[in-house]
Amino acid sequence: MGLFDSLAISASGLSAERLRMDVTAENLANAQSTQGADGQPYRRKSVVLQAVGAQGGFAQALAAAQSGNPEATGTSTGAQPGGVEVAAIVEDQTPGKRVYNPGHPDADAQGYVTLPNVDSVTEMVDLISASRAYEANTTAMQTAKQMFTKTLELLR
Amino acid sequence: MELFDSTQQLLMGALHGAAARQSALSQNLANANTAGYQRVDVDFHSALQQAAEEMRSGDADVSPDDVDFTAQADPQQMQVDGNGVDVDVEAANLAQNGLEYQALVSVMGARMGILQSAIGMPR
Repeated sequence: MGLFDSLAISASGLSAERLRMDVTAENLANAQSTQGADGQPYRRKSVVLQAVGAQGGFAQALAAAQSGNPEATGTSTGAQPGGVEVAAIVEDQTPGKRVYNPGHPDADAQGYVTLPNVDSVTEMVDLISASRAYEANTTAMQTAKQMFTKTLELLR
Repeated sequence: MELFDSTQQLLMGALHGAAARQSALSQNLANANTAGYQRVDVDFHSALQQAAEEMRSGDADVSPDDVDFTAQADPQQMQVDGNGVDVDVEAANLAQNGLEYQALVSVMGARMGILQSAIGMPR
């Protein structure tokens, strides 16, 4: 409980948004990959986020250790905010576009090549959304830092 | 006469409340892209006001330290995926809460300065 919590929450937001940006970059980089490790065309990936409750924190861990029950430290209260975490990275199962290109090494018997189901416009929108959300988290972090600095000035 | 009067205690309570609200607002911004997430907020003004009224009415057991600053859910829908966070509103709340916190700290610092000069320990 305290300002360090809000810094940790913002930090979890930063890493979640960074992962979204990484995944978007991977999608864009593989927009033309007609063959993955399994021989199938690349499938667009997206990140599923979920909110988490606080994992106790230092004060609760200390209280649990003093009461002689260290197992109680990891319990999630749920009521206190604890940031965000990545629940999963899922593959988009919509079928990819098929184009006629008999000369392509991955063309099927009819001469059609299945392209990845990546739409660069969607990826761009996702990229901007992740980038703006990242900025919002840094702003929250900045505010918490200013508040903390101001409190420390009381000691001067 | 105690060293820290009820005003100073309320200031401390308000600082705790503003810090708890900062966590709640950070949580909202961190989950701005989480599907189905509902925003949370800490209404520490009402909680403190209630505590102050109880203190005024002579209930000696009430202290600002006991005020509960638990984040409350505030359901609303902003996006089709069920997310209830309006990033602009959260950013405005965050700026307001930060300034409020700094104002509280300033008032607290000034009052502590008065105490220190009374004790003969000028800064």
